[in-house]
Amino acid sequence: MRPNRVRYAGEITLEVLPRRPRLAVRAIRPQRVRCAAWGRALDIIQTVEIGAVAAVAAILGSMLGLGGGVFLVPIITLFFGIDPRIAVGASAVVVVTNSVVGSAGHLRSRFTNLRLAMILQVTTAVGAIVGALVGVNADPRVVYLVFGLVLLYAAASMALPRSDRAPALGADPLRLGAAFRDPATATDVAYVPKRIGLGLGISSGAGVLSGMLGVGGGVVMVPAMNLLMNVPVKAAVGTSTFMVGITSVATAFVFYANGLLDPTVVVPAVVGVFLGGQIGPRLTRRLRAQRLSLLFALILLYLGTSLVLRAFGVTLPGQQ
Amino acid sequence: MSAPAPPEATGAADFVDRAERLAPTYATAGRVLAWSFRVGAGLLALGVLLTLVRGEPLGRELDPLGEILPSLRAGHAAGVVDLAILWLMASPVFAVVAVAAGFLRLGDRRYALLSLLVLAVLAASIGLALLR
Repeated sequence: MRPNRVRYAGEITLEVLPRRPRLAVRAIRPQRVRCAAWGRALDIIQTVEIGAVAAVAAILGSMLGLGGGVFLVPIITLFFGIDPRIAVGASAVVVVTNSVVGSAGHLRSRFTNLRLAMILQVTTAVGAIVGALVGVNADPRVVYLVFGLVLLYAAASMALPRSDRAPALGADPLRLGAAFRDPATATDVAYVPKRIGLGLGISSGAGVLSGMLGVGGGVVMVPAMNLLMNVPVKAAVGTSTFMVGITSVATAFVFYANGLLDPTVVVPAVVGVFLGGQIGPRLTRRLRAQRLSLLFALILLYLGTSLVLRAFGVTLPGQQ
Repeated sequence: MSAPAPPEATGAADFVDRAERLAPTYATAGRVLAWSFRVGAGLLALGVLLTLVRGEPLGRELDPLGEILPSLRAGHAAGVVDLAILWLMASPVFAVVAVAAGFLRLGDRRYALLSLLVLAVLAASIGLALLR
C-alpha cells in the first residue's frame, strides 16, 4: 500500500502507513534540496563540460593511438573532482565504445589477427577482472599513483621507435601467422607472431592495469606486439583495438556490479569521446607528427606528475 | 561434421590464403560490431532525448539488471539510457560469439575453444553484475 509521504525542507521524510504507523528519517541528497530548475541547470552545465573534456581527451588519444581513457580519467578527476573510481568506470565504457567503432573498420581491412587476439585475450580478460576488483576496493591514492606512473611511462614511450621493417616469417606451430593488404603500399604483408609466452605475460599485466585504471591497455600492447612479437604496426593496432574492447567489457561489468557506473558521467563521456574520435584522425593528417609527439609527451608528463603528487596529498594550482 | 584442419603455412602466399579463409568471419564480426553500435547509439540518443523532453534527471548510478526492465515498462527515460549503456558494454561479447562460430565453421577447434574460454571469462564478469 502506498504511504502518505510528507517532505519537510529536504531534512527528513515522514512516512505514515495506514494501519501500521511508522516514522522514517532519511538523508536527502543535497541536489534534491535545491530549487529544481537551478539543480537541473547545474547538471546540464556539468554534463556539457564533461562531454567537451571527453571530446578533447578523445582527440588527443586518437592522435596518439592511445584511446580516450588515458586523458579522460586524469582530467575529470583532477579538474572536476570526480571520484577516480567513477571516472575509471566511465572510462571503461568509453573504451568499449571506441573499440566497437574502431574494430569494425580494422576487421574490414583484416588488420586484426583474430587468432592472436583470442590467445592473448584469455589472460588479458582474467587480468582485467583481477585489476578491476583491486581498483574498486583500492584507496584512491593507490589509483592516482599507479595511473600517474602509467602516464609517465606513456610519455616516455613516445620516444620508443616503431618497427616498420618487413616482419620475418618462419615456424608457426600455433598457426598464428596472418597476412593483410597494406593500402599504403598496395602489397600483402605476411608475418608470424613470435614470443607468445612473453606476450601472454605482458597481456595479463596490461589486463590488470586496464581493469584497475579503465584504460584500454593499448598503450602497453601495441609496442609489445610491434617491438617484441614481430607484429607489424597496423596489425598490432588492429589486434589491440579489438582486444581492448573485450578487456574493458570485463572491467566495466565489475564496476557496474559495484555500483560505480554513473550515467551522468558515462553518457556525456561516451558522446564526447565518440565525437572527438571522429575529429582526431582528421587533425592528425594536418599537423606535423614530430611536434605533436613533443606536445603530447609534455601533456602526459604534466598529468602523470599531477596524479603522482595527488597520491601524496599535493594538489597543483587550478585542480580540485 | 567439421572441415579438415587447414595445411601448415610455410610462405607468404599461404598466409594470404589463410586470411582469405577467415574472410567470412572478419565480415560477420565487423557487421555484428557495426550493427551493435548502431542499436546502442540509437537507444542512447532516444534515452537522452526522452530525458531532455520530459525533464527527468539521469540516475546517479546504473540500475541493477533486474530493475531495468520494470523501469522500461514504466517508460522511464533513465531505463532507456541504462539499457543503452549496457548494450554498448556487451557489444564486444557479440563479436566474440561471431568469431567463435567462425572458427567452428572452419574446423579450427583450438581457436574456437579459446574463443569460448574468453566468453567464459566475460561471463564470470557479467555474472558478478547479475549477482548485484
